[in-house]
Amino acid sequence: MKMTAERWQSLTLGIVGIALFLAAWEAIGVNRLAGLTWPPLSAVFQFMFDPTKAQLFIRAMEASFSMVILGYVTGSVVGIALAGLVHVLPVVRPGMDRLASVIHAIPAIALAPLFIVLISREFTGMAIAALNVFFILYVSTTSGLNNSTAGHRDLFQVLGSSRTTRLLRLDLPAALPAVVSGMKYSVPAAFIGAILGEWFGSSRGLGLLMVSAMQNFQIPLLWSAVFIASTASLIVFGLMGLLEQFVYGRYK
Amino acid sequence: MSPVSQTRSPLDWVKTAISRYWGVVGVLIAWQAWVTITGVNSIVIPHPINVVGDLVFNPGVYLANAGQTLFLAAAGLILGMALGTMVAIVAWSSRILSGILVPLGLIFSSVPVVALIPVLARLLGYDVKTVLGIVIIISFFPAFVFTAAGLKSLPPGSSDLFKVFGASRWTRFVHLVLPSAVPNWMIALRLSAPPAVLSAMLAEFLMGKSGLGFLFRQSATEFATERAFGTSVIATVISVLCFTSAVAAEKFINEKWK
Repeated sequence: MKMTAERWQSLTLGIVGIALFLAAWEAIGVNRLAGLTWPPLSAVFQFMFDPTKAQLFIRAMEASFSMVILGYVTGSVVGIALAGLVHVLPVVRPGMDRLASVIHAIPAIALAPLFIVLISREFTGMAIAALNVFFILYVSTTSGLNNSTAGHRDLFQVLGSSRTTRLLRLDLPAALPAVVSGMKYSVPAAFIGAILGEWFGSSRGLGLLMVSAMQNFQIPLLWSAVFIASTASLIVFGLMGLLEQFVYGRYK
Repeated sequence: MSPVSQTRSPLDWVKTAISRYWGVVGVLIAWQAWVTITGVNSIVIPHPINVVGDLVFNPGVYLANAGQTLFLAAAGLILGMALGTMVAIVAWSSRILSGILVPLGLIFSSVPVVALIPVLARLLGYDVKTVLGIVIIISFFPAFVFTAAGLKSLPPGSSDLFKVFGASRWTRFVHLVLPSAVPNWMIALRLSAPPAVLSAMLAEFLMGKSGLGFLFRQSATEFATERAFGTSVIATVISVLCFTSAVAAEKFINEKWK
């Protein structure tokens, strides 16, 4: 990618914007402009990197991130697999579309009691994350699978390939950019699911830290937990963005 | 799809219904079967009949709380969209301002926003107004990002045309730039509607003062599972209503606009 003057300028402005934001955060905190519940950035960092707190954060991160990963992988696999299935068997597609959108319309807070009973408190976050991811990937994969051009489809037909061959050799590669975009946009959804799940009575994780710190007025702990979850999500989102650019360059 | 179905027989109608709703019905049947076979206690999972009963016999409890949640979500969504649009317009007027604000907006709209609810609740204080504030902030970012992008995506050549005819910056803005942002604006509305309802409920759930989220928390701690599931049903209905009306509005506007 060539760095034109315009790109340099927008990059610089972006960095300036982020720096201004962090500076404002610090200034508001130091001068107590927003009251006692807005700590300066430096105080949050100090708390976060305090060696005596390391154990606490590492345990919470292990618990939350394992739920995020499990939910993300489960949701992705099921979403892509079902999208492939309805692509090969178009008869079941309208019902599957409807089911996916009904599930998506149910707010996560309403599903929590069901999951707590059906699975367990600890895995509720994983289940909500998986459902969120499933919907995004099901939608993006089904639309991506229709991206192959009619000419190519005809060619496969004429050469007598089966539906499965066509799916694996033609439709799936054509759908790859849409799938990767879906995987990018489902990263924050997976984090939301896992954190939400922990609000409903899980015994560990970043979500639990947030709620208990909020109720007990532990302001630096509260901000640290939120900062860790948001930053982790942003980093993965950024990495998926890079993968997306690579795939778009390769397959489009 | 098929031109044959001009006169629809009842059989066709049943076929369409089955092809569209087999999944939803299947899940409901599986749920009922699971409850019947395992014979779980009704405190753990209530019977569907009891949930319906609680909804029918205590409409007052649900209506008052649902009304509050729906109002907060809708008002917050509208205010957040308005604020996001205004900031996007301000950013449009200056290259430097948009260069600074747009990346920040993008970062915030790709952060798991509901994680910010506890921080906002502490910042703004445990109050009904806080729920409104949270919904405003959460709806602000998509509105800002999409409107800012829409203000830039003008039809090719149109900007030159306006310049050739000597239109002022203001005329160009009102007659070209603003209208071309409308489809993007509708996308933002559709995308923000379900999170607005969800975040209103979550804020109520966490702070526990009033509203559907509070009702949910209260019934869950008192093991009033019928009420908890009834709340789930109402929440789903509200969420579906908001989403479908946003989709309908988007369709309507896009048809008028093109």
